Amino acid sequence: MTRFACVYLVVLMSIGITVPLVAHHSFAAHYDMQKPITIQGTLVNVRLTNPHSWFFLDVKEADGTTSHWSFEAGTPSGMLRNGYKPDELPKGMIVTITGFPAREKPKVGMLQRLTTADGRSYGMFGPQEGAGAK
Amino acid sequence: MTATTRLTGLLIAASAAIVTLAAGQTPLLALQRGGAPAAPENAPPPEPTPRLADGHPDLSGVWWTGGDVGGRGYGGGRGRGGRGAGPAPPTFTGLYTPEAAAAAKKLADKDDPTLKCIPTAFGTLNVSMFDVGAVGQIISTPKFVVMLTETFHGFRLIPTDGRPHRAEVPPSYRGDSVGKWEGDVFVVETKNFTDNTWISAEGRVSPHSDQLRLVERYRRPDKNTLEIEATVYDPKVLTAPWTVPKQTLVLAPFEQILPLNCSEL
Repeated sequence: MTRFACVYLVVLMSIGITVPLVAHHSFAAHYDMQKPITIQGTLVNVRLTNPHSWFFLDVKEADGTTSHWSFEAGTPSGMLRNGYKPDELPKGMIVTITGFPAREKPKVGMLQRLTTADGRSYGMFGPQEGAGAK
Repeated sequence: MTATTRLTGLLIAASAAIVTLAAGQTPLLALQRGGAPAAPENAPPPEPTPRLADGHPDLSGVWWTGGDVGGRGYGGGRGRGGRGAGPAPPTFTGLYTPEAAAAAKKLADKDDPTLKCIPTAFGTLNVSMFDVGAVGQIISTPKFVVMLTETFHGFRLIPTDGRPHRAEVPPSYRGDSVGKWEGDVFVVETKNFTDNTWISAEGRVSPHSDQLRLVERYRRPDKNTLEIEATVYDPKVLTAPWTVPKQTLVLAPFEQILPLNCSEL
């Protein structure tokens, strides 16, 4: 195993990413796993579509402007079968997303974890942890 | 596919296996290499194969490997079968002609047609009715077997009487299928594909030609189990037919797949 491979595995294990074996395309190719980011914003849309779901946020910048972020999550079927409800996170909710930025597209990221103000937490495939996880 | 992409794929596979191990499940890679795990002790005896009025096995049901992507049970249960002991069999990409291998090197994940909501010609998990997903549904009747995919609203309408392929059908993403029964095995031949999709052999995106032809053998040895053996022919791309690792699926605990849209970012 190359040094790169070893480092990659250690990074993935340390941050607990559960990337699906059959991801139709490589998340690592699109997102920079070496640069974790945390973005807080207002949820404006959740799109449960193939091939992957997306979370869209409006984010207030320091200069008073609003930017628009898009975060890619897992397959909609995987999220729904893990217990995620289509209307579970309403528009207008303040959420915090940790993830990784796209290598080529600005303000696009891969969702690793989404948390709500009331403490709910979701992974790439919805509510993957806790008693409700399937 | 570049060497870097292949390496990344291996790393992702390794990562998934490690995470699965940590979750106390049977690692998918172990299933692929060493065969399906033994049934748990004290498991109830399998129920008999359901049959249609004409006596043939009823293949109907929602089938998966034991879970959906990202969920517990995914790849577990009696899901994806292995090949047993012995040397590793050829892979799809390992059978590329030199020309095909050179063409594949020019493609990367960003070229994957499924990112534009175009189906695969085969299936990400080496199960054609899954397409880019991990769940498929069969509706079996004496005249037709219908295979429904959850991704991209795909379907295959397969006549069971052994009729030849229709001549007037244009090439399509998912091809034209015909079927026949050989005892309790339903044999499906699919061809007449376009050449602008990828095959997703072995979970990796891979190009194919318009000469792609699939022969699949479906067997339901008991109520809860569906075994699929397949051979992929593509003389323009492969130096020899590719024998797909045998897949063993289980019934999912729900009766309908989901209607899911597809859209680009």
